[in-house]
Amino acid sequence: MIITDNLTKKYGGHLALDRLNLQVKEGEIYCLLGANGAGKTTTINLLLGFLEPSSGSAFINQVNVKENAQATKKFLAYIPENLMLYPSLTALENLDYFSGIAGKKLGQDELRNYLSEAGLQEEAFGRRISTYSKGMRQKVGIAIALAKHAKVLLLDEPTSGLDPQASHEFGRLLRQLSNLGVATLMATHDLFRAKEVATKIGIMKNGQLKREFYANEISLAELEETYLGLMQPKAAAL
Amino acid sequence: MFSYNLKYELKLLWRSRWIQLLGVLLLVLIGFAVYNGQVKTDQWENSIQTAQQTLKASDAAMVKVLDSVEQGLEVSLAPWLVPTSPMAVGNVHPRVVAKDAQPLSYIATGQSDLFTPYVSPKATGDDFAIEFTEMTSPVQLLFGNFDLAFVIIYLLPLLIIAFSYHVLSAEKERGSLRILMAQPISIRQWVFQKLTLRFLVLSVLVIVAFVAVALGFGLDVWANAPSFFILIALVLTYMLFWFALVFLVNLWVGQSARNAISLLGLWIFFVLLVPSILNQIGSVLYPMPSRTQMIGQMRSLKAEATEKQDEILDNFLRDHPEYAVNDSTQKRNFYHRYVASQQLIRSELEPVVNRYTEQLQKQQDLLGNFKWLSPAIVVQQALNRLAGNSTADFLNYKFQVMGFSETWRNHLMPLLYNNQDFSQEDVPKLPVFQYQPLSSSATSALLVLLGLVVLLFGLGFGFTKRIWAS
Amino acid sequence: MILSTFKKENQGFMRSGRIRIALLTVLLLIAVAFWISSKHYEATNRMYDSAKTSERANWDGQGEKNPHSAAHYGTYAFKPKYPLSLIDQGVDKYVGSSIFLEAHARHEAQFSEAADQTGLARFGNLSPDFILLFIMPLLIILLGYNSFTKEHEMGTITLLRSEGASFYKLALGKWLSLFFPILVITSLLFLGAGLVLSQLPDYGVFQWSALGDLYGVYLVYYIIFTNLVLFISAKSKRSGVSLVLSLSLWILSCLALPKAASNVAGHLHPYPTRQEFAAEVLKDKENGLDGHNPWNKKAQTLQAEVLAEYGVDSLHQLPFNFDAYRMQKSEEHEAEIYYKHYDKLKEQYRKQAEVYDGLAMVSPYLATRFLSMSLAHTDYATHWGFADAAEQYRVATQAFLNGNFAENSKYGEWGYRADADFWKELPPFEYDPPELSTIVSQNQRKLWVMALWCIGSFALLLFTTKKL
Repeated sequence: MIITDNLTKKYGGHLALDRLNLQVKEGEIYCLLGANGAGKTTTINLLLGFLEPSSGSAFINQVNVKENAQATKKFLAYIPENLMLYPSLTALENLDYFSGIAGKKLGQDELRNYLSEAGLQEEAFGRRISTYSKGMRQKVGIAIALAKHAKVLLLDEPTSGLDPQASHEFGRLLRQLSNLGVATLMATHDLFRAKEVATKIGIMKNGQLKREFYANEISLAELEETYLGLMQPKAAAL
Repeated sequence: MFSYNLKYELKLLWRSRWIQLLGVLLLVLIGFAVYNGQVKTDQWENSIQTAQQTLKASDAAMVKVLDSVEQGLEVSLAPWLVPTSPMAVGNVHPRVVAKDAQPLSYIATGQSDLFTPYVSPKATGDDFAIEFTEMTSPVQLLFGNFDLAFVIIYLLPLLIIAFSYHVLSAEKERGSLRILMAQPISIRQWVFQKLTLRFLVLSVLVIVAFVAVALGFGLDVWANAPSFFILIALVLTYMLFWFALVFLVNLWVGQSARNAISLLGLWIFFVLLVPSILNQIGSVLYPMPSRTQMIGQMRSLKAEATEKQDEILDNFLRDHPEYAVNDSTQKRNFYHRYVASQQLIRSELEPVVNRYTEQLQKQQDLLGNFKWLSPAIVVQQALNRLAGNSTADFLNYKFQVMGFSETWRNHLMPLLYNNQDFSQEDVPKLPVFQYQPLSSSATSALLVLLGLVVLLFGLGFGFTKRIWAS
Repeated sequence: MILSTFKKENQGFMRSGRIRIALLTVLLLIAVAFWISSKHYEATNRMYDSAKTSERANWDGQGEKNPHSAAHYGTYAFKPKYPLSLIDQGVDKYVGSSIFLEAHARHEAQFSEAADQTGLARFGNLSPDFILLFIMPLLIILLGYNSFTKEHEMGTITLLRSEGASFYKLALGKWLSLFFPILVITSLLFLGAGLVLSQLPDYGVFQWSALGDLYGVYLVYYIIFTNLVLFISAKSKRSGVSLVLSLSLWILSCLALPKAASNVAGHLHPYPTRQEFAAEVLKDKENGLDGHNPWNKKAQTLQAEVLAEYGVDSLHQLPFNFDAYRMQKSEEHEAEIYYKHYDKLKEQYRKQAEVYDGLAMVSPYLATRFLSMSLAHTDYATHWGFADAAEQYRVATQAFLNGNFAENSKYGEWGYRADADFWKELPPFEYDPPELSTIVSQNQRKLWVMALWCIGSFALLLFTTKKL
């Protein structure tokens, strides 16, 4: 579903992303770990077509992003770190608008179903988004992905700033989506949540993918050890 | 996408109170402007009407006097006022030569605050010295009028700028642009649709406000439907121009505050600077000769003519025997000589006087060629023409006044030189002035504006760089 | 604190490309406006000089002539341009520049520039007063709209707070840094104007003190705008909002309000139309003494009085020409009528001026506009002064001519001709515009309004916002 082939991004002389080869299959949740500036957000921006690769290519559902960014967006949903919607519209209206401009006309019942599926309380549907917490807004984001029948979900630090309960609930939602066959790529700092939800985990540093594991092959303690080890320059050299 | 943008743009605009605010603002601005225009037009028309009535009364009085004289009665008038003398009629009972108000005069004051609604040229007066200018406080002229043209040309673009300068940048600053860009839509298209919708909303508000004001003031919109449609078409295309600029700036610039500054800069450029620079260029290329110099020339000619009065009269009668065919008396008084001198001065001064209208015409032509540099000029000119208050309209009126002044003189001159008395029967035969307004056409203005709009949108769709989410 | 803020802000200005462009544009505009304006000034005064000379030559060279014919031939009074019109053109282009002075009638100044221009001229001229009154406040807005909001947006406000900076000191620093570039530009402009003007051949009319006062008026105007823009910036959450609010203030006070004021003033206290005015004058004249009409009632009374006074029973026995005497009496009487009607007009304008003064409480632009015109001698009052002086001169000229006629001829002797040299004895027309002190005392109300605005806006800025 998501494939990157030697994907590279240079800013002037600085190599932000160095020959990244990545594959996220249907139903997989891939967590990208790494410090700030490791290249996680650059990867997501390249997959979204917000940036153009310096070399290499990215594919969403077999479509080359660089060549046809707009076509790839039919299959993908994206939730940025701080999801902002129209504050003076309600959740129902925001969902209706975003699926509408993407070309999906939905009835009121369908809209409600998607919001419920995304775990939003019924009573909040008609409230303006300006009264929502970050977690609630993200649920609307999930509803947008659901309504779109997205095959690919891109997430950028979705759990930062969420309280543990909201974060847990968010993880549960992601697994639900993956059961529907969605390929998810999530950039995060949150090792714990990554271990909990991911099928696959990658660790990035200086624009390179350093390690890849299947989540069920590694314990949280091992993951943390490896991560910290990688982050220390000397230890990495050893 | 369009139907969803439509539905939610309206909702968003309503909830953020933009629609209500703009509606009220437009109603107040247009209402005040149309009211001012109406007051001016009413004053203009009343002044003409009063003059016509006064003339009627004075004509009736003149007939009475003539009747008394013809019956051999004595009249209590100074001899030079008795209307049996054709020059007394020509000078004491001049006609009202009025520039009638046009149906849409209230939309633009134009040059009408500078000039009087009518003049009454006298048979022996100086045509070039006819006082066309109105007695107004110059402070009022300096500040100008709060008329519909002002609202349209100056304020409407500012409303558009305030309304739409941050259509795209607000999304960016709020953070909703990233999720929007993750949708399978073209952002350029999206901005275009948003602005189209805002244009439609504002258009509806403007039309509704105008119709409401027109109905409120009891203006007859239906009787002048064609001109009214032209007015609306002009306003909408002018708005379209500003929306096209807003579109470009939204795509090109970025931050909200910077957008606002760029747009304001463009507003200053188009509305304040280009017109004044063009005006300056016009007066440098085709300078108005000095009026004080004209006075000098006129004075010298007059002094010369007074000295050679008799000679001038003889020459005049030799050249124009037709004026005195039936004269058997050969009597010559002051007026015989004066009228002949005036005729000579007039023909000698003609090239000097014509230079003013020529230069003005040239400035006007230059303006015609370069008005596309600023849509504000295009609209100002078109609105003034529509109102019948443009420079061209007043030039046309002046020409007609000069024409009528000549008609008036020529009508009375045969009587003077034949030494015939003016009689009661001659009163109904006196010439009457009827103002012929210029036909106004806004087609070229509309085409120029549309051309600019197409150009700007072309630039927006053809040459914009990519839009980045951050 | 104050000094470091000042330094930091000015560095910011100089590094920002858009501000550099704006400053350069304004300087360029000022230079162009100045150049145009000085050309215009020179050309007008050249014309004025030549017209004055040739008109006097016409008058002096009339030859032997009946004084009353000369009175009808008349003469012209021309209005000169004053040096400071270089900076503020005021209402000059909307008033006539020449008045025809003849027997029996007071004429209005004729031939205003505006009447000879296309409709384009109504957009305004590219003159220094346009830059000073409209563009400079915009520059202040451009430089200052984000003065405080940017601290919020960049988050530096917390840093400032943590350093214990007081709003008062920060505001003062920002104020100085915003006002400094404006002060520099304005000073350069006025200094340049002063140097140009003092180089002019008729340097005598130009006063540095008047220029200094004008400079002061504009500085106060900019201080008011600086205060208001900073106040708005301090009270706004975001730069965009601050910018839109400041601009609305500018649109309202510089653009919309003056026009609305003009309509309101004209509507409340209208002028008569030219024809109405003439008709009213004529009505009064017809009821009065007619200098040419012995059958006129008042003329008959005058005749009886004069005959009684001299103890004779026929006009021929009088030691002077009664025709001329009667004409002079009528002239004096008609002049009174004109004064009466022009006083009504002035009264109307006085009421209009009250409307403007009232609205100046809402728009600092109005007070500045009027003060600047007054100081530059391009205001309506100066024009009135000129027109009144011309009228006095007209009446004096008539007395001069009628006196000669009355003394040197007998009743009914219309064939009398005065010497060819006689005309030269008429003193030339002179008009001196009001002195600086007169202008200041005439405009006290506007000065107070400016002072009020200045103090009020300072108070608004410094005392309504206590905390950072």
